Amino acid sequence: MADPRPDTLFAPAADVDLARSRALRAAAVGLAACAIGFVIDRDHFYRAWLIAYLLFLGIALGSMGLLMIQHLSGGAWGVFRRIFEASSRTLPLLALLFLPIVLGMGTLYSWTHADRVQADEVLRHKAAYLNTGFFLLRAFVYFAGWILIAWTMTRWSRRQDEGDMSVNLRLQYLAGGGIVFYTFAATFAGIDWVMSINPHWFSTLFGFMFIGGHGLAALSFTIVVSTFLVRRAPMEHVLRPSHFHDLGKLSLAFVMLWAYFNFSQYMLVYAANLVEEVPYFIARISHGWQYLALFLVLFQFAVPFLLLLQRDLKRMPYRLVWVSLALLVVRYVDLFMLVSPEFAPTGANLHLLAGEPESRLFVHWLDLAAPLAIGGLWLWMFFTQLAQRPLVAFADPYLRDALETTGGH
Amino acid sequence: MAFEHELPGLSTPGRVTPDVIAPGHTFESVTERISAIILTKRTPIGWFVGFGIAFVFLLLFNVTVGHLLLTGIGIWGNNIPVGWAFDIINFVWWIGIGHAGTLISAILLLFRQQWRTSINRFAEAMTLFAVACAAMFPLLHTGRPWLAAYWLLPYPNTMNLWPQFRSPLIWDVFAVTTYFTVSLLFWFTGLVPDMATLRDRAQSRAARVAFGVLSLGWRGSARHWQRYETAYLLLAGISTPLVLSVHSVVSFDFAVSVLPGWHTTIFPPYFVAGAIYSGFAMVMTLAVPLRKFYGLEDFITMRHIHNMTKVMLVTGMIVAYGYANEAFFAWYSANPYESFMMYNRMAGPYAVFYWALIGINALMIQLFWFRRVRENVALLFVLSLFVNVGMWLERFIIIVTSLHRDFLPSSWDMYAPTRWDFAMFTGTIGLFLSLFFLFIRFLPAIAIFEMRTIVPEARLQTGEHG
Repeated sequence: MADPRPDTLFAPAADVDLARSRALRAAAVGLAACAIGFVIDRDHFYRAWLIAYLLFLGIALGSMGLLMIQHLSGGAWGVFRRIFEASSRTLPLLALLFLPIVLGMGTLYSWTHADRVQADEVLRHKAAYLNTGFFLLRAFVYFAGWILIAWTMTRWSRRQDEGDMSVNLRLQYLAGGGIVFYTFAATFAGIDWVMSINPHWFSTLFGFMFIGGHGLAALSFTIVVSTFLVRRAPMEHVLRPSHFHDLGKLSLAFVMLWAYFNFSQYMLVYAANLVEEVPYFIARISHGWQYLALFLVLFQFAVPFLLLLQRDLKRMPYRLVWVSLALLVVRYVDLFMLVSPEFAPTGANLHLLAGEPESRLFVHWLDLAAPLAIGGLWLWMFFTQLAQRPLVAFADPYLRDALETTGGH
Repeated sequence: MAFEHELPGLSTPGRVTPDVIAPGHTFESVTERISAIILTKRTPIGWFVGFGIAFVFLLLFNVTVGHLLLTGIGIWGNNIPVGWAFDIINFVWWIGIGHAGTLISAILLLFRQQWRTSINRFAEAMTLFAVACAAMFPLLHTGRPWLAAYWLLPYPNTMNLWPQFRSPLIWDVFAVTTYFTVSLLFWFTGLVPDMATLRDRAQSRAARVAFGVLSLGWRGSARHWQRYETAYLLLAGISTPLVLSVHSVVSFDFAVSVLPGWHTTIFPPYFVAGAIYSGFAMVMTLAVPLRKFYGLEDFITMRHIHNMTKVMLVTGMIVAYGYANEAFFAWYSANPYESFMMYNRMAGPYAVFYWALIGINALMIQLFWFRRVRENVALLFVLSLFVNVGMWLERFIIIVTSLHRDFLPSSWDMYAPTRWDFAMFTGTIGLFLSLFFLFIRFLPAIAIFEMRTIVPEARLQTGEHG
């Protein structure tokens, strides 16, 4: 056999196209359902759309974060770089999918209503930050920055494939600045899009929790895609148990981090019992929501923690992938828990209703349709991006370490 | 790999990074070089000078403690409303410094980071000494430390006195004693094979007996090594959560309260990051003179200096993020007490310290982005001293500004430390440095047998290990 060029050697398997078309069909079904929901139950549509949106945004941003960390640390996990890159390149689509949230601002965020703001001293104080114009400007800045980082990093990555090693250093510089921007932008995006649903509540830990969720979602998604790829040429010759072992260990770390952040926040708010903070948790441990809270404790911490402690499980992609798929579902439940208890079962924002209404545990059919629509579109975009480049970043200066990682773990 | 020659990346290393050990070393040269520091008959004059200075401060510590026990804690400057000042500031500062040792020994071991090898031993010793210094403050703050047993520990006594389990201060007692015990075990376990090496090489009978007892009958058999490796890995696993838990519990001392500036949910991770940041600064402060004085540049290479600086940059940036976060939420909370707390920090009577800590921990550390700075050892030494100061100021600001002006303006007051506060603080620095000087003179400051595993000879014998 003649020496093949690496870019043809690592060409993606043909059935990536199949995955693309399947994702698109799922999206069509989901979007049709969402369109019906938009017409007949608009309040629930906006709420469900926001939750599903946050899940896939988290995967994309988390992947971009891991990509930047990899450029900075020079870690021996370069075999996953193309997955991170393809995932980051979905950000323009995500910017587009943000538009329904802009349309639904009036439903989602009570601080968009001038009469509400006038009647509430706290909201009057926050109006300098929580106002429609500034909210939109900030969203524009976040997306512009994220897309610029993702695009530049992947463009330089292609130059690296073509043999231009001068980009190696620039990639590191960009990753350094990029990670600072990402951290601050993600923190404020979390405040804008999630925390301000309940405009009275605040928690300084929220940014870390939001970013930690991105990391967990991105790692779980990477394991799922890698398990899909490891069954096919060319990745079946590249990915080894040790690579899955590394991702599994990182997943375990992020599972523990999630528990650490959530325990710290809950314990401190519970112990202080302050009127500004504690209603947020009272809403989430009563009226049925407590079962969901218990579900999260068990399935976003206890069960995956015990499973991921096992060495053998982390080294077997076909078993590990089930944990990762379950973690993606639980991530969605966690986001559901962040958002939904601020809404009445009718879908209306509690903070827009008169009196002191309470939320009761509810699930709406749009909570299944919205992830299908956004997930389908997002996966279509992801596989489109993945198919455009060799599956191994073969010019990665640390790839030798990544490929030589054997035994020992 | 079959396609290896095809891949441009595989033949093009990114940046040439210095190795974790200088070229040309063998098993023999490593053992000789490190054990000679301990087994030499002639102690260098510089050691006596350094130890002498440290010892003077240790004596100052003894005088202070004597005065304190005879007179009472009224010799300190803390008084209502600032009922907690140097005693807790210095406690948190010292405990934080200890964290780098645990991170280096446990987490970097689990991540198989080879660069931990030459700095882990003295970083662990630093942890133990720092925790010992930290423990002095709460113990002496009780005024009668011989009674601390039933104030701090839950033991069934005839007076039926129990500590308040809902208080984070009692969680602290458990966290810190666990931390000290595990760190001590970890450190000593790692020392055992080296003790045997020293026992075998010692010339004097006294040294042979002392190292012989400490080496616990180590013969270096395959079974010994196998048990050793198991024990070491288990201890690393046990230590890992302690890196997060100890300083999280320390942060609860403040965050469980309802005081503006103390009660904030970001405190646990923010304290942990600050602890690692200040701990690496102290490792740098100790490593730079150590490698210079004993000529250990071959073992503590530029790679170590680079990596330590990078860890400081990352953790320092997390701390800076915490400052930004606190300032934003002080406003966003719409709580007048929260915003006043931040205003008081920025423009109140202690503002100069606030801006000094921002200058160091948020602005100065940006220098660590530059490779030129990371290569300048003398500059890094100075910067690491600044980081130590900056992190001390951070605790000062958190503790004093929240207390001295609380909810009721009629109870506002200023806090000023007395000369005894300073005497006790510098006294613990004397204690710390005295212990450290004794350590580098009598015990191997660099793990001899672990260094032997990273010389090129070891790679030839065992094959490359990922």
